[in-house]
Amino acid sequence: MEKLRKNKSLTIRNKIEELNHVVAFLEALEEEWEISPAHVASINLVLEEALTNIIFYAFEKDVESEILIDLTMEGSLMTIVITDEGRPYDPTQKNDPDINLSAEDRPIGGLGIFLIKQIMDEISYERIGSKNEFTMVKKW
Amino acid sequence: MKVSNKSNDEGILLAVEGRVDTTNYNEFENAVNEVLSDDVKEIYLDCSELSYISSSGLRIFLTVQKKMMARAGKFKLFSMQPAIKEIFDISGFSSIFSIYPDLETAKQN
Repeated sequence: MEKLRKNKSLTIRNKIEELNHVVAFLEALEEEWEISPAHVASINLVLEEALTNIIFYAFEKDVESEILIDLTMEGSLMTIVITDEGRPYDPTQKNDPDINLSAEDRPIGGLGIFLIKQIMDEISYERIGSKNEFTMVKKW
Repeated sequence: MKVSNKSNDEGILLAVEGRVDTTNYNEFENAVNEVLSDDVKEIYLDCSELSYISSSGLRIFLTVQKKMMARAGKFKLFSMQPAIKEIFDISGFSSIFSIYPDLETAKQN
């Protein structure tokens, strides 16, 4: 039997407060796609981490741009693709933090991409023309 | 996100409710800093109503922990929801924070 493929997307501006739209979007999706609250929380987290990076670092100050978030659910396979037009940045190349360090030695920050890697099964990056395309896949 | 101050004669007790994320982590930091005067040696944080945390929230937890350790103080977290505990686990934060099942246990240790 062919698995049902569902798709939904959201476009936000490169502003931190737009993350609230992402939360609302996921709340609606939770109901519509009947995703468990725990999975929605994980999706929320990886999206926030990826989007925060883009919003904070991909653009010159005061440059307004749009970021596209595309979610596809096929059976228990969730694919999230984030596309932005910021400077080239490959999150998959970021070094993992050393999580065995003591509190004194742990640097503040640097956890965002690491959390994504821990939660998702696969991440990949592609620069396509003037766009960054970051893909995250999870099978539940 | 809401932080309430439930401190009494026995010590500093805060409770954090809702989401601590990139849109509000600075409010969380300010609320904690408000009670973090130089003479405070122990802070208890009720995490029972903390429903979501991202790396932006985690960095405030780490900042507070560093401050408390620098003054040989203690930052004790308790009643954390399993989903939040999982984020602490995968970040390696569970081993650098004191996390207790409830306030009573936190006080005894």
